[in-house]
Amino acid sequence: MDGGVYPPILAGNERILQVRNLTKVYPNPGGADLEDLVVLDGISFDVREGEFVTIVGPSGSGKTTLLNIIAGLESYDGGDVVVSGHQVSGSGTDIAMIFQEDSLFPWLNVQDNVAFGLKQRGVPKDERGKMASQYIELVGLTKFAKSYTHQLSGGMKQRVAIARGLAMNPRVLLMDEPFGALDVLTRETLQYQIQEIHERTGKTILFVTHDVREAATLGDRVIMFSHGPAKIKEQYLIDLKRPRNVEDPALTGTIGAILKNLREEDVFATDKDNLGSRE
Amino acid sequence: MQQTKTTSAAESRARRERRQSLITAFDIAIGIAILVAAWQVVYWLRLWPPFLFPSPSSTAGEFVALVRAGTLESALLGTLWRIVIGFGLALALGFGTGVLMVHFKRFGRLMGSFSLGLQSFPSLAWVPFAILIIGLNDAGMIFVVVISSVFSIMMSTYSGLRNTPSIYLKAAKNMGTGNLSLFGSVMVPAAMPSLISGARQAWSFAWHALIGAEMLMGAIGLGGVLYAGSEFLKMNEVIVSMIVIFAIGLVADRLLFYRLEERVRSVWGLNRPIG
Repeated sequence: MDGGVYPPILAGNERILQVRNLTKVYPNPGGADLEDLVVLDGISFDVREGEFVTIVGPSGSGKTTLLNIIAGLESYDGGDVVVSGHQVSGSGTDIAMIFQEDSLFPWLNVQDNVAFGLKQRGVPKDERGKMASQYIELVGLTKFAKSYTHQLSGGMKQRVAIARGLAMNPRVLLMDEPFGALDVLTRETLQYQIQEIHERTGKTILFVTHDVREAATLGDRVIMFSHGPAKIKEQYLIDLKRPRNVEDPALTGTIGAILKNLREEDVFATDKDNLGSRE
Repeated sequence: MQQTKTTSAAESRARRERRQSLITAFDIAIGIAILVAAWQVVYWLRLWPPFLFPSPSSTAGEFVALVRAGTLESALLGTLWRIVIGFGLALALGFGTGVLMVHFKRFGRLMGSFSLGLQSFPSLAWVPFAILIIGLNDAGMIFVVVISSVFSIMMSTYSGLRNTPSIYLKAAKNMGTGNLSLFGSVMVPAAMPSLISGARQAWSFAWHALIGAEMLMGAIGLGGVLYAGSEFLKMNEVIVSMIVIFAIGLVADRLLFYRLEERVRSVWGLNRPIG
């Protein structure tokens, strides 16, 4: 299936994010006579309002680059990225990003971290305090509003980061392997919570992971990337009731199919090709 | 369950930190007592005549006399005035130059290597230059204070701002932070640990330089009293000024810089014991 074909789920909703033929090339750091590194090779897909889309692919397949581009944090070399009708140029507040690393500010407490973006936007103090409290409650951390980030566990930090992203009331929430650095149990809890948050807020989420089980558990749709240069190899619709968990037997088939497809991506063969072309 | 565990861990950490700071104050008191006792013992040994090695009690008497005569007060005021102006100027100049160094990268690299040499240049070696160029006055002494402390403020500003973790910048940009606000709301607070330790080091350089300059330039100040004491063979006066100089250095460091540093460290969680 090619990226341009849109699956029937949520078909009535507005296309909030349109990625068309997106290409990104990194100049080869080795020198001008070496071939440049193509990271994204003509990626096209749409995300509809309220959809929870996951992207899965081998490490180094350009997933993070794709999110950085959509967030306006990185430039691109070809194609279009359109968010609710506007071409992405530079970073705006329409799109919030949750990073894998700890991105909270250690000099601010939880409350002020969540209110940071609202302050930048010029929301008056009382109002942004109220809004921040509301989102801190949504992620269940009201007791820790006055804590500094070093007093929180890794899972709690990511929940604060999610609250901080949601507080911006973005059109799209981008999540870049947000649970990648967490232990298995915390990870499962957060996988449950993000589904709950998605249900309650109706946010459009684009979620990148290299964990196939996580991708299938969370996504209404799973987009599978090939090994770099990234192309969309396949898309899977997952029409199951939420909240789901990783052990849901109904997911087993899809997970198996994605894993089988990923294994066909012979990572080493591609590397050999690259080496060959550099000689 | 996870939440209650974190709270109790934080509480017990806070208790432990309070206990540690109590021990520190107690240690200082004990240390001073031991020092005075040892002084008294050496005095009793009569290794030097009393006018060269006075007793703690006669030194205390001299302290009272100097206070009554107003000598100590005017010296203290002169010295404090110079250090406040000099150190304040060094802070402003050092921070400003550091910011410019971050902004203009080439200038930054140039100043970076240049100031390494200047930082190790003995501060008192500036005194003759200051006397000839500016004169034997307050401005000359303040110049010596500024020139000996400005570089460590400049370098800590430069390295602190330049090493802002890129994830903070990315997150802030993603939340629509403009360039000016990125500087004030992200880079400066992120650099705070470096800025404070730079200021703390600069304070000690500034204090050394000022006392030295006052001695060499014969100012009305603690350095001046110290020098006059040795000129007139008044060991009492020498020791009193030394103690006052020591005490001011210690008090400023403890009450100002140490507290600031501790505050930042506890907010950032840099004080956590390992494990």
